[in-house]
Amino acid sequence: MLVIQRRAGESIFIGDDVEIEILETGPTRVKLGIVAPARVLVHRKAAGLIEMQNLAASRPVSFEAVDAVLAKVRGPHSRKSRPPFNKSQMDPMSSL
Amino acid sequence: MLNHVDTKYFGGLDYDEASVIQFANGLPGFDTEKRFLLMDEPSRRPLVFLQSLSRPELCFLTLPAQAIDSVYALRITDEELQILRNGGQGSTPGGPDVLCLAIVTVGENQAMTANLLAPVVVDLANRRGVQAVRDDLVYSCRQPLECSRETVPCL
Repeated sequence: MLVIQRRAGESIFIGDDVEIEILETGPTRVKLGIVAPARVLVHRKAAGLIEMQNLAASRPVSFEAVDAVLAKVRGPHSRKSRPPFNKSQMDPMSSL
Repeated sequence: MLNHVDTKYFGGLDYDEASVIQFANGLPGFDTEKRFLLMDEPSRRPLVFLQSLSRPELCFLTLPAQAIDSVYALRITDEELQILRNGGQGSTPGGPDVLCLAIVTVGENQAMTANLLAPVVVDLANRRGVQAVRDDLVYSCRQPLECSRETVPCL
């Protein structure tokens, strides 16, 4: 790994066409400006985080847990019993 | 002409091709899943089910971001907006045709969290969607679900 020190306002180049400028430094965060051609995908570290979270969210959730989520959002006064999952009551949101 | 799909929560279902939401880039971790249905069931509002059309067992549970945080304001980058608009025109983010849905995770300990860092943004007018990652640090991808004191907006 190449380790270099830069100050705010300074840049580094990666290859011929990717420039990373240090815009601002703070006690806990660094603000970077990235100039790259459109074909270069710039990923935040967050991309990996979102991927992991989506995978976690895709794990099977029971019907009971779905209704527990609903109760949490609606608050304690929401109806305790809801009809079972039933496609006849379900309407794809095509009309919206 | 109706198509048929097996869904995770609602069994077999006929749907109209016009109701499909296209995710040009898929979702992070699910890059090949590009076609979803949005479904809501009246007795379970404000929940919105995001059902994959190619994998019956894949159905994300989502909530409108504002049902979790009543002052939630969408932040979307130009790149994400381009995906949403697909080179054409689109609805204005924040407007009535753009849904901002947080994916809910139910953990192994039944802890419930919502991803307010990267909401799924859907333009209902052109039937396109993208998962937009906020570039600020205001929200977490594991925001605990709390009872909302505000009136929950219905879709």
